[in-house]
Amino acid sequence: MRNSSASTTAANDVMMEIEANKPQGHGIVVGGLSPLSETLWKEKTNTEFIGDVSARLAWKDLTVMVTLNSGETQNVLEGLTGYAEPGTFTALMGPSGSGKSTLLDALSGRLASNAFLSGRVLLNGRKANLSFGTAAYVTQDDTLIGTLTVRETISYSARLRLPDRMSWSEKRTLIESTIIEMGLQDCADTVIGNWHLRGISGGEKRRVSIALEILMRPRLLFLDEPTSGLDSASAFFVTQTLRGLSRDGRTVIASIHQPSSEVFELFDRLYLLSGGKTVYFGQASEAYEFFAQAGFPCPALRNPSDHFLRCINSDFDKVKATLKGSMKLRFESNEDPLDKTTTAEAIRILVDYYRRSQYSYSAIERVEEMSKVKGTVLDSGGSQASFFMQAYTLTKRSFVNMSRDFGYYWLRLVIYLVVTICIGTIYLNVGTGYSSILARGACASFVFGFVTFMSIGGFPSFVEDMKVFQRERMNGHYGVFAFVVSNTLSAMPFLILITFLSGTVCYFMVRLHPGFTHYLFFVICLYASVTVVESLMMVIASVVPNFLMGIIIGAGIQGIFMLVSGYFRLPNDIPKPFWRYPMSYLSFHFWALQGQYQNDLMGLEFDNSSPDLPKISGEFILEQIFQIDLNRSKWVDVSVIFVMIITYRIIFFIVIKINEDVTPWIRGYIARRKMQQKNGNQKQTIAPYGLTQSPSLRAYVGNNGPNSNR
Amino acid sequence: MEIEVTSGSSDIEKGVIHSQGVAYLVWEDLTVMLPNFGQGPTKKLLHGLSGYAEPGRIMAIMGPSGSGKSTLLDTLAGRLSTNVVMTGNILLNGKKRRLDYGVVAYVTQEDTLLGTLTPRETITYSAHLRLPTSMTKEEVDDIVEGTIMEMGLGDCADRLVGNWQVRGISGGEKKRLSIALEILVRPRILFLDEPTTGLDSASAFFVIQALKNISRDGRTVISSIHQPSSEVFSLFDDLFLLSGGEAVYFGEAKLAVQFFAESGFPCPSRRNPSDHFLRCVNSDFDVVTATLKGSQRLRETHKSDYLMNMATAEIKEMLSSKYKHSPYATRARSRMRELLATQGVEIDRVKGSQAGWGKQLLTLTRRSFVNMSRDKGYYWSRIVIYIIVAFAVGTLFYDVGTSYTAILARGACGGFVTGYMTFMSIGGFPSFIEEMKVFTKERLNGHYGVAAFVLANFLSSFPFLVAVSLLTGTITYYMVFRARFFRYVFFCLNLFGCIAVVESCMMIVASLVPNFLMGIITGAGVLGIMMMTAGFFRLLPDLPKPIWRYPISFIGYGAWGLQGSYKNDMIGLVFDPLIPGGEKLKGEYVITNMFKLSLDHSKWWDLLALYSLIVMYRLLFFIILKLKERATPFFRSMYAKRTMHKLKRRPSFKRKPSLSYSKRQHALRSLSSQEGLSSPIP
Repeated sequence: MRNSSASTTAANDVMMEIEANKPQGHGIVVGGLSPLSETLWKEKTNTEFIGDVSARLAWKDLTVMVTLNSGETQNVLEGLTGYAEPGTFTALMGPSGSGKSTLLDALSGRLASNAFLSGRVLLNGRKANLSFGTAAYVTQDDTLIGTLTVRETISYSARLRLPDRMSWSEKRTLIESTIIEMGLQDCADTVIGNWHLRGISGGEKRRVSIALEILMRPRLLFLDEPTSGLDSASAFFVTQTLRGLSRDGRTVIASIHQPSSEVFELFDRLYLLSGGKTVYFGQASEAYEFFAQAGFPCPALRNPSDHFLRCINSDFDKVKATLKGSMKLRFESNEDPLDKTTTAEAIRILVDYYRRSQYSYSAIERVEEMSKVKGTVLDSGGSQASFFMQAYTLTKRSFVNMSRDFGYYWLRLVIYLVVTICIGTIYLNVGTGYSSILARGACASFVFGFVTFMSIGGFPSFVEDMKVFQRERMNGHYGVFAFVVSNTLSAMPFLILITFLSGTVCYFMVRLHPGFTHYLFFVICLYASVTVVESLMMVIASVVPNFLMGIIIGAGIQGIFMLVSGYFRLPNDIPKPFWRYPMSYLSFHFWALQGQYQNDLMGLEFDNSSPDLPKISGEFILEQIFQIDLNRSKWVDVSVIFVMIITYRIIFFIVIKINEDVTPWIRGYIARRKMQQKNGNQKQTIAPYGLTQSPSLRAYVGNNGPNSNR
Repeated sequence: MEIEVTSGSSDIEKGVIHSQGVAYLVWEDLTVMLPNFGQGPTKKLLHGLSGYAEPGRIMAIMGPSGSGKSTLLDTLAGRLSTNVVMTGNILLNGKKRRLDYGVVAYVTQEDTLLGTLTPRETITYSAHLRLPTSMTKEEVDDIVEGTIMEMGLGDCADRLVGNWQVRGISGGEKKRLSIALEILVRPRILFLDEPTTGLDSASAFFVIQALKNISRDGRTVISSIHQPSSEVFSLFDDLFLLSGGEAVYFGEAKLAVQFFAESGFPCPSRRNPSDHFLRCVNSDFDVVTATLKGSQRLRETHKSDYLMNMATAEIKEMLSSKYKHSPYATRARSRMRELLATQGVEIDRVKGSQAGWGKQLLTLTRRSFVNMSRDKGYYWSRIVIYIIVAFAVGTLFYDVGTSYTAILARGACGGFVTGYMTFMSIGGFPSFIEEMKVFTKERLNGHYGVAAFVLANFLSSFPFLVAVSLLTGTITYYMVFRARFFRYVFFCLNLFGCIAVVESCMMIVASLVPNFLMGIITGAGVLGIMMMTAGFFRLLPDLPKPIWRYPISFIGYGAWGLQGSYKNDMIGLVFDPLIPGGEKLKGEYVITNMFKLSLDHSKWWDLLALYSLIVMYRLLFFIILKLKERATPFFRSMYAKRTMHKLKRRPSFKRKPSLSYSKRQHALRSLSSQEGLSSPIP
């Protein structure tokens, strides 16, 4: 058989390449591991000798069914069989909507909770339970912290995940070798860049994302369209690097959309999908002949992958129909067999031809073979660093990010100073006249209302942070608690600085109640209020990841809190149900104002409306005009705010946990219920719009939800 | 073999308004420089390029990123950015002239469209804006339908275009819609900047096929293109291959393979020729190969592969020198001379729009109104928030009464309604920025005037503002104040004035700060200052006189709105005194003594002041838009003059390889496009 002989020679080539790349003279060498990976694996398993740790992935009759909102089910993938071996680079290709992302998600155990998987996915002959570390997954979008340099990004990530007992010099070697491996030497000290900072190029970003995932030396690497959005040179570079990674004895699987000729030549194996069905699976170089045999030869001077996709992309039918409809299509070349048949027909022919071909049989045979051999169980947790190491590293990283990102706190500091100077000039030297009674109240209300409102300005940076967190969390880099703690700690110095500076400006320009403790109280109260807003916005950001909605909701909640704070309407006049209990007690403005009024007015004497009337004492004003309970100390008020801060942080923590664990479970449950209700209805097989785009949108932890039938 | 199917195109051709002139475009020795003031050398973006484009053919400008394809396109279309200097000739039909809007159309890379309209509506409004007023509705409809057919938009003509909150038509359909808008007035030359970027292969094929059809109607189509697929590349007639600002090849696209083979760089048979060309001249590959070799990742260098062993810089040099002496270049030069000799037909210059001002205004108002009523984020979400807040205020101050504490409560209620509630206008900011983008694009193409836009925007937003102020006014007034009808009318009018002023104010901010986040922060700051000086937080007489009292409190809407609201509310009321049994307080006394406001003028004067502020802000908005337009060309010419002056003094400037000069790559994208605004809410 020509095909099989060709495939064996190709496989031999690959094996020889792997052999050639084996490091020399290092005692026990397993499965083409580099010495570095070897140490790591030993570290992990704590054994002197480890067996073959390469990953052999095979899947058999893989079918994925998705429940739609309407309760109908659709098969996104139908009976796929294939395998991926160590040392090879497998490309999943197909037109948009063909199910390549779904296949990738199914293989990596990241299917959304409304998708149901049947068939078997085997890793080293055992049922795959792909947890973090074993398989790395590089998503399509590069969520990186823009203010860090490439080296910093990688080294922080290393410290987050590598075991504590590994020495720093070892970690450093690992980091440097990863940088070199991914060809990032030239830009290692360049910042990554964000919306207002120009940084490294898109290709470099993509390689940094990959570098982060290969830090832990996973044996199995999944990539979702690693070349999309890159120009040809960067795409070539990325693909070449992936091929290099596979040559180290790793198993690399990537979905790829429209590769250029150079990129296509780098693939070892090709899995061609259309409408959820296998069109071709085998050596990439043999696909050319397969298409020729099936009756669709690739014309000369054409990129084979362009030709394959042209044949199986049913969108072309629509295009041609529309062009014919507009009576404008001039038939300039009629030699193309595709002009005679529709692509729908071509897909049918190709799928049938593949099913009966040698390629299909040998694939099934190989899968059978692979499923019999029980290999090592590749299992490891995501991060091996201790909680304190994680928290410490995260705090440091977050602090560096905040101090470098102008939009995070510096911009707010400027705005705060401007606003407080405005307030300071308006209430300049407010005094103790009759009209200054109201003015002092208004001043406090404005400071605690409007100034804290400006904290919303940090929302976009925070949303950015959340994105990075979500990616890292999905890959199991660290725990939620470490994130919450580190975020609180790293923000503290900045908030203290901001509130201290602007509080000082305001206090001394307006000349509020003299005395150091009064000044201290004012600043502490301001700090507490700003931190509460910050924590509130964090909760909102975790619930509403959309930027605009977050700002609107945040503004709305603050507006209502301000309304019940006791300034616009005196506390006793606020309607009892709902507004007074509980709203005004939930509002931090209420507590801040109560404390500040006491702090400011207590012990002062004010002029009366006409000079001949007696002076009014501050206590009288507090009790009679502002209706404040003088028995409660102002320090109680401020400690209530601190309790609120802690409460909001806890809520934040809980919300993230719920999003991770409960939501996918509920979604899966609803999907199953709907499916049961509609059972018996006919199934559609065409993948709908949007559904195949990314069903894995919010599946945080693949194996936590009941997302499969395994 | 070409089978011309003409049955469908006859009614389309009705759209041809001006004489059926054909456009031969020739450019000679085109050099574009990017001067660098102060320090640093001047960059040459294009090096003496020559070429021509003929009607009935479609030309691709290709090259690696940073090779100057966009610069060439911009130069030919007369749209060079303000800071570059151009030398050389561009001739249209043998005459040197600046190519201006009207003769040529330019389709930019990003599709600036109103997401709430359907493609058919988009095209129809655009047609009404630009086609002569003399045309009947049927004629216009014919053109619109013809264009929809021509661009293959029939299937999606009645779906929404879609924006960040609504999922709409696909990227390829958007691109074709953008092209449809440009070909409405039948320009003779069509320029396109990377029309296939971000599209999948089928959509890209469709777009280029549609362009090819347009060119076959006797138009000249020039498009820059980045990494075309095999099918797309085979559609082009001519190819202009650039690298580092120099021509590597210019001629028929089909002959390029032959040229490369003759020069010693044959294209392998299983390769897309365009991939091969780019691979040969893309100097980024040198960096890639060097890095790969450095990290010893490149283990399999095929000895035979010249591409891996030879620097692309070398290949590029060889190719461009070979090209200069090749028959292809000779043929191109002779054809250019031929074209220069034949003085072609003069093409009527069509102005941006032939529609009358009244019709423009009407169309714009209608379009803007449709947009506002369909966009949930523009006004509807705000109306909902207003109603909620109004109920919150209403229940909180429910039946406020006339006790002593009610004096302050009434004041606070007035302050909150005129102050904080107007703050919500910020919510419409993103939608407004979208509209401004569309305006900027259409204004650049000369579709309509600034005045028409400003007026249309006000007219279309009028019903919504009225609805907002009526609803909130009614709820708060009847829940809180409960007085006679006339006072209610005044209350609503006052509220409307406040909201309209804030709205106008936000527009000015949007026209000055196009970035979404900065806009929100600036807007909040401006509103905060207005609120602070309104007389609620600090009584007007107590405000420091310089700056805060004069002029800010007079410019701000807050002071006027609040004064009117206080007078409307309190005059004629009698309040309980502080100590029970004391003398009752009259409303007039409260206003003059507690709020320290004078009663010299009636509340209606305050209202008048508020409304004249609206007019003033709108005028300011108009003036700012005008100034921005006027100032840009002024700075541009000044800049160029200074550069020419500098160049004369320093004729030999250092050449530095420009790695990537492109407006796109320098422009920082606005945050709104990144912050999940471009994606539907999950």
